[in-house]
Amino acid sequence: MLFSSISFLYYFLPLALMLYFAVPKRMKNAALLLSSLIFYGWGEPKYVLLMGVSVLLGFGFGLLIERYRKKRTGRIFCMISVSVSLSFLLCFKYADFFLGNVNALTGWKLPLLHLALPIGISFYTFQIISYTVDVYRGEAAQKNLIHLAAYVTMFPQLIAGPIVRYRDIAGQLTQRTHSFQGAAMGIRRFVIGLAKKILIANQLGELCGAFRTSEEKSVLFCWMYAVSFTLHIYFDFSGYSDMAIGLGRVFGFRFMENFNYPYISASITEFWRRWHISLGTWFRDYVYIPLGGNRRGRKRQLMNILLVWMLTGFWHGAAWNFIVWGALFAVLLTAEKLWLLERLEKSRILSHIYTLLLVMISFVIFNAEGMEQACSDLAGLVGAGGIPLVSAEALYALRSFGIVLLAGGIGATPAVRNLAGKITENPAGGRILNLLEPAVLMVLMLVMTAYLVDGSFNPFLYFRF
Amino acid sequence: MNTQKKDFVLCFVFMLLLAVGLALCVLLPKEKYSGSERRMLSPMPELSAESVWSGRFMSDFEDYATDAFPFRDAFRRVKALTALHVFSRKDNNGIYASEGFLAAMEYPVNEASLAHASERFRSVCRKYLTEENKVYLSVIPDKNCFLAEESGHLSMNYEDIEKQMADRADFAEYIRISDLLEKDDYYRTDTHWRQEKITDVAERLAQKMGTTLSQEYETHTLEQDFYGVYYGQAALPVPPDQLQYVMDAAINSCRVYDWQNNREIPVYDLERAEGRDPYEMFLSGPISLVTIENPGARTDKKLVIFRDSFGSSIAPLLISGYSQITLADIRYIHPDLLEQFVDFEGCDVLFLYSTLVLNHSETIK
Repeated sequence: MLFSSISFLYYFLPLALMLYFAVPKRMKNAALLLSSLIFYGWGEPKYVLLMGVSVLLGFGFGLLIERYRKKRTGRIFCMISVSVSLSFLLCFKYADFFLGNVNALTGWKLPLLHLALPIGISFYTFQIISYTVDVYRGEAAQKNLIHLAAYVTMFPQLIAGPIVRYRDIAGQLTQRTHSFQGAAMGIRRFVIGLAKKILIANQLGELCGAFRTSEEKSVLFCWMYAVSFTLHIYFDFSGYSDMAIGLGRVFGFRFMENFNYPYISASITEFWRRWHISLGTWFRDYVYIPLGGNRRGRKRQLMNILLVWMLTGFWHGAAWNFIVWGALFAVLLTAEKLWLLERLEKSRILSHIYTLLLVMISFVIFNAEGMEQACSDLAGLVGAGGIPLVSAEALYALRSFGIVLLAGGIGATPAVRNLAGKITENPAGGRILNLLEPAVLMVLMLVMTAYLVDGSFNPFLYFRF
Repeated sequence: MNTQKKDFVLCFVFMLLLAVGLALCVLLPKEKYSGSERRMLSPMPELSAESVWSGRFMSDFEDYATDAFPFRDAFRRVKALTALHVFSRKDNNGIYASEGFLAAMEYPVNEASLAHASERFRSVCRKYLTEENKVYLSVIPDKNCFLAEESGHLSMNYEDIEKQMADRADFAEYIRISDLLEKDDYYRTDTHWRQEKITDVAERLAQKMGTTLSQEYETHTLEQDFYGVYYGQAALPVPPDQLQYVMDAAINSCRVYDWQNNREIPVYDLERAEGRDPYEMFLSGPISLVTIENPGARTDKKLVIFRDSFGSSIAPLLISGYSQITLADIRYIHPDLLEQFVDFEGCDVLFLYSTLVLNHSETIK
C-alpha cells in the first residue's frame, strides 16, 4: 500500500488511527502490529509469512544471544542470525543476479529463480540484523514478541525506511507518550512529505518518463533529465521519510532523521552525511567499524571504504550499475579523504558545483537499466553520438516543467524553512503563520487528494530496494 | 492563536478530514459510469480468500477507491487547474487548452505508422481494384495543426505528413484539403470537425472526384450541449459545444444500411445525440460497414470511402453527388471480408483518414 494512495489516506489511515487510539496503552503495540500486518499484506499477502518468519527468528536469536552473550556461543548465534537474515535477502533479491552472472561467465544455463522481490525486505532485514547485533553488543533482548514484531513491521517505516535501529527505539516501544503537540508535529511532517511526493516528485518523474520515451534526445534534454531525476529521487525518498517520521510521531515514536538538505553539501563526504542518513550510519556501525574502520592503517581503511560503498550500492539493487554507483562514491570519498577535501574548502561555490555535478552523474548511473543505458545517458550529457544541442521536446518539457523544476530546486534547500523561521521570529508573523498553517495544510491535503483521484504517475522509487 | 491551540486545531481538522473522507467513501452511493470520462468506473472487487491471497482484491480495490471517490469530477478539476495555473504545466494528461479549444497533443510523427497505413491501403487496392477504379487519398489534419505551434505545444509537421502519405500512396491521386481548414472548423471540446463547417471540403473532394454537390444545405442545431471527448479528459471548466447538422433534399431522402448489425439506420441518429458520445449521431458512430443509397441521384456514380470517424460527418455532404456511398472502417472489419458486401466495379474509391489515425495506424487491419 502506498502512502500516496486513496486507499491509504481515506481507508487505512483513519481506521488504523481509530484502532490505535481506542485501545488501552498496553494494547497499543498489538494494535500497531495488526495495522502493520494488514498494511504489508495489502501489497504482499504471501510475503507476510516470510516477514513473520524473519521476526520470529530475530526474536529467538535475540534471546539466545542475550543468554550466551558472554560466551563464544553467543557470537556463533549472532553470526547465524545475521547469516540467516542475509540469506533471505540473497535468495529473494540477489539470487538471479548471481545466477545470471555465473551463466554469463561460464556459459552455463542455470535456471533463474524469478522470485518477486518482497517489498521492504532490504529495510526490515537490516532492522533485524541491527537488533540481534545490538543485543550481542549488550542491549537487552526484547522479551515480548509483540513489541519486537511491532518494531520490525511498524508500517510507517516498514517498506522504505528510515532504517530504525532497535537501540534507538527500544525504550519507546514500552514507554512513549502521546500529545497534541507531538501529533501535530507528525501531521505537519506527514503532509509536507506527501506534498513533496505528489506535487514535486511525481511531476519530476513524469519528466524523467518523457525523456526515457522520447525519440528526440538532445544535450539539453539529457541535462534536464539528469537534473530532474536528481531532484525526483530526493523529493520521492525524503518525502517518504518525512511521511514515515511524521506518522511515527503521531504514534508517539521519534525516528531518526534521514535527510538534511543533501544538495547544499560542499563535498561528497558532506553529501553522505546528509543523504539517507539511516543507511549510511547503519553501514558505518554494522559493517565499516566491525571491519576495522580506520583503526588498522590507511591501506585497510581504504579497502574498507571500497567494500562498504560497493555494498551500499549493491543494497540498492541487484545490478552492476548499482555496484558501479557505490564504487564511484568509494573512489570520490577516498579522493576527498586523501587530498581533495582540503582543496574543496578553498572555494565554497566550486565545491558546490563539484558536488552537485558528481551527485547528478551518479544518479544518472543509478537510474539506468543497466550499464549500457548508463553509458548512453552519460554520453548524452556531452553530446556524444551526434545528438543535437536542443530538441523541440526538450524545449517543451522545459516550458512545461519549468516551475516544478524551480520549486524542486528551491525546496531542496533550507530557504523555505529559513524564511518560515524568520517570520516566526516576529510575533505578528508568528501569529499569522499559526493561523494560516492548519488551513494551508488542509488545502494541500485536498489538492493532493485531487492529484490522487486523477490517478497520475505515482510509484515510489525506494520500494524496489 | 497560540501554538498549543494551533496544534489542537491541526490535529482536529486532520482527523476530521480523514474521518469524513472515510465516511463519504463508504456511505455515498457509487456511480457505475463516468459521463465526463466516458468510461465504466471500477466496481467494488469481490472479497474472497482466493482474491485476497492472490493480491487481486487489493489491486482492484485501489482502482475502485480512486474511481469511487466522492466528488470525483470536482477533484479532477482541482487537479487540472492546479497543474495549469499553479505549476504552469502546458498540458494536463496530454490535453491542453488554447484559445478556448481543447486538444490532445499529437507528437512526434510516427513514420512507421504512416508506412503501415499506406501499405494497408495498397493491399486493399491490389485485392479489389482495377485500373478502371479511380482512387483518391486525402489526409485530414487534426486540430493540433492549427493550435499547437502557436500555443507553444509540440506540433507535428503536417505538410510533411501529407507529402509522405501522397508519396507513399502512389496508387492514389492525392486531394489536399488542409488549406480549407482552420481551427474553428473543429469542435472546441472534441476531436472531430464540425459538419456545418466542412461543406467547402466536401465540395473540393467532389470536384476533384468529378462530381457535383447540391450545396443547398439547411443547418439544424441540437438543443442539448455537446461535451466532447476532451472535455472529460481535460477536466477543465470550458463551455460546451453546440452540435449542428445539415440537411438537403438528397440527405433527406437517402437510405442508410448498417451491414454490421443488418439494419437500416438514420443518417442522423438524434437519440445518439443524447447518448454518451453525441458525435455518434452521424451515421450511428463506429460501424464497420455502412451503405448510403441516394434514390433521387442524377448520376449512377458510386463511391467507396475507407475512413475513420471523421468520415461519418462528411459522407452525408457527398451523397448528392453519388447514387451510392459505401463507408468501410477497416479498423473494425478485415478488408478480406469486404468482397462479401461491396462490389467495387466502377466505383470511385477515397481513402479519407485523419492524422490521428494515420499516426497510430496499428488499428488498421
